[in-house]
Amino acid sequence: MDVPTTVTAALDDRPVRGAVCLEAGAGTGNATAGLLDAGAKQVYAVTNDPEHATIVRDRVAPSPTERARTAVLEADVRSLPLADDSVDIVTAHGLFNLVGPESVAAVARELTRVAAPGCHLVIDDYEPLPDDAAVRELFALENAASQLARGRPALTFYPADALEALFSGYGWRVDRELTLLDPVPWSESHVEAHASVATSFAADVPDPMGGTLAAETERVADAVESESAGEMYSVAMRLSDSAAVDAPE
Amino acid sequence: MLPGRGGVIAARTDPAVESVRHTFLTIDGDVRRMQTRALGDTGHESSIATFGAIALNWLEQEGANQMVEHVLSKGVNHFDVAPTYGDAELKLGPKLRQHREDIFLGCKTQERGYEGAKRKLDRSFDRLGVDYIDLYQVHGLEYESELDEITADDGALAAFREAKDEGKIGHIGLTSHGNPGLIRDAIDRIDDLETLMFPLNPVVVGKGDEEHDYEGVFEAAEEAGIGTLGIKAFARGPWPDTDELPEADRPFPNWYEPVDTPNEIAERFDFAAAQGLTSVVTPGDPKLVAMVLDAATRYNGMDETAQRSLVERLRHDESPVPEQLHH
Repeated sequence: MDVPTTVTAALDDRPVRGAVCLEAGAGTGNATAGLLDAGAKQVYAVTNDPEHATIVRDRVAPSPTERARTAVLEADVRSLPLADDSVDIVTAHGLFNLVGPESVAAVARELTRVAAPGCHLVIDDYEPLPDDAAVRELFALENAASQLARGRPALTFYPADALEALFSGYGWRVDRELTLLDPVPWSESHVEAHASVATSFAADVPDPMGGTLAAETERVADAVESESAGEMYSVAMRLSDSAAVDAPE
Repeated sequence: MLPGRGGVIAARTDPAVESVRHTFLTIDGDVRRMQTRALGDTGHESSIATFGAIALNWLEQEGANQMVEHVLSKGVNHFDVAPTYGDAELKLGPKLRQHREDIFLGCKTQERGYEGAKRKLDRSFDRLGVDYIDLYQVHGLEYESELDEITADDGALAAFREAKDEGKIGHIGLTSHGNPGLIRDAIDRIDDLETLMFPLNPVVVGKGDEEHDYEGVFEAAEEAGIGTLGIKAFARGPWPDTDELPEADRPFPNWYEPVDTPNEIAERFDFAAAQGLTSVVTPGDPKLVAMVLDAATRYNGMDETAQRSLVERLRHDESPVPEQLHH
């Protein structure tokens, strides 16, 4: 399967072979593909988006062995349909930038609940963009439209430090840090995809604000086209081996 | 896919290794000269750029002479030519003979049988005007049946070995942009194979499937002490359909659409060299050669993060996935 080099690099030093794995926020299943490739025993690919669930199912379908090792679950990552202490490796590949500040602690608590003692967690995400990055304006419009349409941002770029501090509060310790991409290539297809998300939120915002946001999004996306900016990191953390960790409520 | 294979190989960009290689980068007057690397177990140290002499085919003799002088001034010591490259052998001849001792000369043949290969080698000697070729290569291996042909008793390799015994050629190589599995078979079946020329660029690395696993070819070649020459490093992609862009209107003679700006060329060169190839072959269009040589003289390694950035950027440019927000 086609596995992005970001995923391969992030999983390279993790003991994936034979492990029960969870891809939290599966998207199109990039980490699922990487986990299967690296010999995972079982992969739970969890997404709350039915279209993404279909994409992941289609992606593993051609190979009977990969299909047999994959369970695509449509669920919220704040309440996973998985037992306590049942997962050896959790990946959050590009998950947290889609989790708003109001939910981030709930996600950390839930991932910790399903993690077995000694579980590995791999968080791959983006550092906040530098001030001079042109795509910031596009993401700002996407966030503005999302805030007005549904009361929360579309994207939040958490610094690696912030997520490490959050998870250490739930009993995880940092194993290693790695830069995956520097710079991050925001290609034409990324820019178009973000513009399309922004435009769809703007459609739910009453005019004149909605129309203004849509027009501005189109203008900015055309002007940016594509850009290489910012950094994508991978943080690997490990849950304490002793089972009983009192997670803060 | 094996663990650790994902396009980007840590050991090859080890800063310690690169700093040792820097001892080869010297300033010669005002001219920067490029690094060299061991061409497998041949004993030759090849410059990290190899001059693809097909570029001479598109130049008049005077321009061809200037091109060779320019290439040599940048520190290139490895040239590659073939009888199928139009007039390239003839146009290389004068300057090759003038600078014969400074050039490690690779040539090749598409003949698969003994008699044909022997004839083509003699023809290349005549057209180049020399009596020794440093590296003679099986050109463009595409099918398993061809591997049977060249390794047979009356196959091309018998003619290669005879010429080597007679001191007419120095080393035996093979070139292919075919199936990676076939190239690995060739490594297994040709014991005296000393060099391999095959495609390696961030687009094929990003594919990550067996059909594009030229990294596997590289690893097998390294293990066998075979020198590695990279082609298609500067390929952007296939040309647009001829309905959209007729062949006569293409701005470059290359079989593929090349990258054509200094920045793109430099990142493509850096990527190919950072994979560990002995040498990267310059593209077939003379308009691009000077940019590639400039990049080669400036080569200073490439971070793994930058390698991944390039692979992921090209992956999404090539095959945009709707709603693909992440890398």
